[in-house]
Amino acid sequence: MSPDLAIVVAAVALPFIAAALTPLFFRVLGEGTGFAGSLVALSSFGLLASQYGDEGTVALEWIPSLDIALRFHVDGWALLFALLACGIGTLIFTYSPAYMHGESGLVRFYAALLAFMGSIVGVALAADLIAIFLFWELTSLCSFVLIGHYTADDSSQYAARMAMLITVGGGLFLLVGLLLLSIVAGDVVGPASAFDLAAMLEQPDAMAAALRDRGLFLPVLGLLAIGAGTKSAQVPLHFWLPNAMAAPTPVSAFLHSATMVKVGVYFIGRVRPMLVGPEWLFLFATLGLTTMTVCAIMAVAATDIKELLAYSTASHLGLMVAGFGFTSVYGAETGVFHLLNHALFKAALFLVAGIVAHEAGTREIDELGGLRHDLPVTAAITAVVALSMAGIPPFNGFYSKELLFEAAVEASHHHDIGLLGWLYPAVAVFGSIFTVLYSLKFLSLFFGERPADLGHVHRPPVTLLIPPAVLALLAAVVSVDPELAVEVIVQSGLEATAVDPHEMHVGIPTSFSPAVGMSAVTIGVGLLAFPAYGRLHDGIRAIPRTVPPIGANWWYDTIVDGLSDEGREFAEYVHNGLLRTYATWTLAATCTLALTGFVAAGAIAPTEFGLEVTLAIGLVLLVAVIGGLAVVTSDSHIAGVLTLSILGFMVAIFYILASAPDLALTQLVVETLVLVIFLLVIEEIPESDEIEVGRSVRDAVLSVGVGATAFVTVLVTTSARPDGPTDIARYYAEQAVPEGGGTNIVNVTLVDFRGFDTLGELAVVALASISILTLIVMRGRGDDGYPAARGNDGSPGEEPPTDDSRSDEPTDTQRDSQAAGGEDE
Amino acid sequence: MTTVIMRTTARAVVPIILVVAISLFFEGHNLPGGGFIGGVLTVTAFAIIYMAFGLDFLERGVLGRDVDPGKEHSRDRVVVAYRRLFAYGFAIAVASGLGPLLFGEPFLAQSFVMLEGVPIYDHLEVASALAFDFGVYCVVVGGLLTILSVVGAE
Repeated sequence: MSPDLAIVVAAVALPFIAAALTPLFFRVLGEGTGFAGSLVALSSFGLLASQYGDEGTVALEWIPSLDIALRFHVDGWALLFALLACGIGTLIFTYSPAYMHGESGLVRFYAALLAFMGSIVGVALAADLIAIFLFWELTSLCSFVLIGHYTADDSSQYAARMAMLITVGGGLFLLVGLLLLSIVAGDVVGPASAFDLAAMLEQPDAMAAALRDRGLFLPVLGLLAIGAGTKSAQVPLHFWLPNAMAAPTPVSAFLHSATMVKVGVYFIGRVRPMLVGPEWLFLFATLGLTTMTVCAIMAVAATDIKELLAYSTASHLGLMVAGFGFTSVYGAETGVFHLLNHALFKAALFLVAGIVAHEAGTREIDELGGLRHDLPVTAAITAVVALSMAGIPPFNGFYSKELLFEAAVEASHHHDIGLLGWLYPAVAVFGSIFTVLYSLKFLSLFFGERPADLGHVHRPPVTLLIPPAVLALLAAVVSVDPELAVEVIVQSGLEATAVDPHEMHVGIPTSFSPAVGMSAVTIGVGLLAFPAYGRLHDGIRAIPRTVPPIGANWWYDTIVDGLSDEGREFAEYVHNGLLRTYATWTLAATCTLALTGFVAAGAIAPTEFGLEVTLAIGLVLLVAVIGGLAVVTSDSHIAGVLTLSILGFMVAIFYILASAPDLALTQLVVETLVLVIFLLVIEEIPESDEIEVGRSVRDAVLSVGVGATAFVTVLVTTSARPDGPTDIARYYAEQAVPEGGGTNIVNVTLVDFRGFDTLGELAVVALASISILTLIVMRGRGDDGYPAARGNDGSPGEEPPTDDSRSDEPTDTQRDSQAAGGEDE
Repeated sequence: MTTVIMRTTARAVVPIILVVAISLFFEGHNLPGGGFIGGVLTVTAFAIIYMAFGLDFLERGVLGRDVDPGKEHSRDRVVVAYRRLFAYGFAIAVASGLGPLLFGEPFLAQSFVMLEGVPIYDHLEVASALAFDFGVYCVVVGGLLTILSVVGAE
């Protein structure tokens, strides 16, 4: 059965509409807005659930001229992800009011959370490359707003900026990859569905072959991997995720564990049938296993419970990426099943961490312990989900980890990968040992001795407890009967992501296999090594302290700080507050770009141009040239301006002789007006002839450059014109009277045929007036809006406005004012 | 430059310039001229007034308002009026472009009608482009006069 367009669109649009209405909700409901949010999430969940079992693509027309549509593809994989987002969203919205009680900025918080949910459902269902990209970046933007929720907090801003830079930047790589994909798709599935991912996935082999033919297979694979890797926090770009824990805990649970960070994994699963191959295996299995191991080790080094969970999330994302990376069917099973399992246990763990932080008042691992006395229900929930995270049988995390081990062992059977065939299983086991360690550590917060200086721990309100309890219950159901989960959703998700899907079975192993052995080693070593956790923790923490460049965060800071400093220094040259500097840079850049453009396009060719001028025109132009020379040699500004206007008037006469009365009229009037304005301004310009040699050389070079550019441009544009009037010129000439009703072609062209251009020019005139007005009127003011007397420069701070009190580092407005003011001193 | 010769000439010349400017504006569709040229010419007329009679003349002499001596010129009501003029002009131009949308035509589509049997003129052409051109005229006059008066005040 094909899905219903209206229902699918409603499920995506509902959260966005609710986000727009959030201020209204908040006015009525106050802090209870969260419950309205959970109702919205539940509605979207219901709408999507009604499409359960359907498969197909529906499209809403968007930009038909570019063949871009809001296409939505519904299948098991999309539904699994979208339902997960809405389901966990419902729980998060239920959890938030109690957690965010008494905080400010709740409207922004809920609006961003709702918009995020809409985008994540959108990215899950979208089948159009452009729509995918838009929803993808929307999730990053919402995440930016939510991480930076505590706007006054520096670390929060730092984390938000970092997440934005990495995920949105990665999204741009994805965009390039998607565009390359669409170029190839245009040949394979037809230009009408060049952006239709669903159509591409119907012919995965043809697409892969076409990509390889055009040599675009590796670029596309690499670009998509960068996009997905940044979003899903893969090494070496994983460091934004632990920093993103500056966000409120509901956000961490929703965005940074269960949904947004899985978008990359989801997308890898989505394109898997099309791009799978030896390169795929090598890239994603290596990337995923590295991330899994490195981040698991870092999680052991964590001192904060949310930091521990963040690194653990990155590690599990690595597990999923590695799963999809293995080309056997076990690989796809790992990815799909672990996506579900991880969402269940990790969201619950974050919510538990939120409860602990909220009730105990600290998140430091060292300060917590023995919490089972104070938080018995929470402890029970944690036991289920933490053991699931560790992959201890019979909890649900065990099944998907077992699948990963099987896929890792199988890898060498499918491809000839030499030593890697041994390395992959070994690394998988090695990383998993650390997973067991930090999972046990998290669980141990609830057991053992209660530290003496841990204050009174409150009982959490019931709305904080229900969401993690529901998740733990679901995790328990999957643990007891994994076949049920497989039957309900995982099997259909598998069919969309695997190349040769078959009936999937999971359960407690009953006979020995390599994977069982690997699980046994993992759990055994993990349990044995747990008493040494403290020493391991200290040892790992010491590494980045001794060798800073080993941490990715160090690189980020170095690069970003370096670029900011470079930028500031560069601004000193380009943006130093002197109008002549701006003019120099603008003109020089324009000339360079224009001339480079001509050269690159091969437009400059030696042309013969004969001098065919009448005597009258020749005389006029000669006078103009003499006027031009006189400008340079004139010894006062007034003489210079007056001689300059000789040139202008000669040009006007030239227009008359060349039978262009409109141009001539305009030139005459404008020339007069410009002369008047020049004469008004000129009195203010100091008559100083003393300028450095360097500067006059610079000015001379620039003038010659501008002149040459103008000259070349005229030559190039006129030589490219065909002989006789062009089609457009003929059209204007013929249609001016019948269509425009005017015999003045120039005017009809201006106001009728090309009215849009004129409108743009009007905007320019208006903008120019506004900027001149602003420059002159505001120039007496400093930052503080102190209206200094005219002729004085604004001065910063509380100091009196005198000429001497310029600070060493004037702000931009002050610099402009100095530039403008400097002229009249 | 406020000499007697200048003032006397200005008195004679300014009305002529303004009439020419307006006729250029209206004739523009069929003869050389149009909103832009008409606008710039109108501004020249104002420039002559400013040069001959000083910046406060319009405010004090023509409109009969008091002017504070030390006041910033850019706060004058005349300057405010100029600023409004280019804003309104821009609005007129955009509105004249939006009008055709009501009739199912594209943005900025223009049309014209010929009125026959009008007294004196015999036949008169009414082009919708005139509204757009009027917008151009207003923006040019408002914008340039703002620049002229503010720069002139310095």
